[in-house]
Amino acid sequence: MSGVYLFGLASRQAQHLAVRQATIAGNVANADTPGYKARDVAPFAEVLARTGLDMAATDGRHLQGSPGAAAVKVRPSETWDPLDTGRSVSLEQELLKSNEVAREHSLNTAVVKSFHRMLIASLRSGA
Amino acid sequence: MIDPLQLSTRLASAGMEAQSLRLRVVAENIANAQSTGTTPGSDPYQRKTVTFRTELDRAAGAASVRVREVGTDASPFRVEHDPGNPAADENGEVKFPNVNVLVEMADMREANRSYEANLQVIKQARALVASVIDLLKT
Repeated sequence: MSGVYLFGLASRQAQHLAVRQATIAGNVANADTPGYKARDVAPFAEVLARTGLDMAATDGRHLQGSPGAAAVKVRPSETWDPLDTGRSVSLEQELLKSNEVAREHSLNTAVVKSFHRMLIASLRSGA
Repeated sequence: MIDPLQLSTRLASAGMEAQSLRLRVVAENIANAQSTGTTPGSDPYQRKTVTFRTELDRAAGAASVRVREVGTDASPFRVEHDPGNPAADENGEVKFPNVNVLVEMADMREANRSYEANLQVIKQARALVASVIDLLKT
C-alpha cells in the first residue's frame, strides 16, 4: 500500500505552519522595536526538497543531517515598507501572512481528516 | 522544546503587555498636560516616553519584546505669561509641561493598532489549535 506517508507529510507541514505562526507573532510583538528586522520561515516546498534526501538513522551512532523541527529555518524576510522609515515590520503584511498560515492549516487538517475517513472506511469494509 | 503555537500566544501577550504600558504612559501624559509646578518658578510635569527592545526568550529561542525604559522628554517647556498663577515666577512667566496632546493622541492610536494586531495573532493561533483538536472529533 503506497501513499501512507501522507500522515507524516501532513504533520510536518503542520509543524512548519506552527513555526511560521510563531515567527509572525514575534514580528508583530516587535513591530515598534527600533532596529528589529522582520523574519520569515523558508517555504515548505524548499524545506521538503532539502530534507527529502535524509538517511534513516537506525543506530545511535549514525550521523543525523537535520531532524524534524530543526529543519525549519527562520530567515530575514523582505519588507513592504515603501518609505525607508527604519521600521522593518509591516503589520498588514504580517496579518496577511498569518491568514495564509490559517488557510494552509485548514487545508492540511481537512486532508488529514478525509484521509483518516478513508482509512476507517477500508477497515470497516475489511471486517 | 515549547510548542510553536503556544509560543506565538506567549509572544503576542508580551507585545500586548508592552503596548498597554505605552498606553498607560500616554494616559499619564494627557492627564498631566496642564500640571504646573507648585512653587513659584518651579518646573512643571515632564513628558514621559517609552522605548522597546527585543528580548531573547531563552526557553524558546524566540525574539520576544519588553519595555526598555520609561524615560523623560528633555525638550523645553512651554512658557506663558500668567502673573495670577501660583506657579508664576517674579516676571509673571509660568512653565507648562512639554506635552502636545495631538502627539499623544497619535501615539495612542498607534499603540491601539499594535495591540489589536497582537490580539489578532492570538485569535489566529487559537483557531489553528482548534482545527487540530477538531481532527479528534470525527
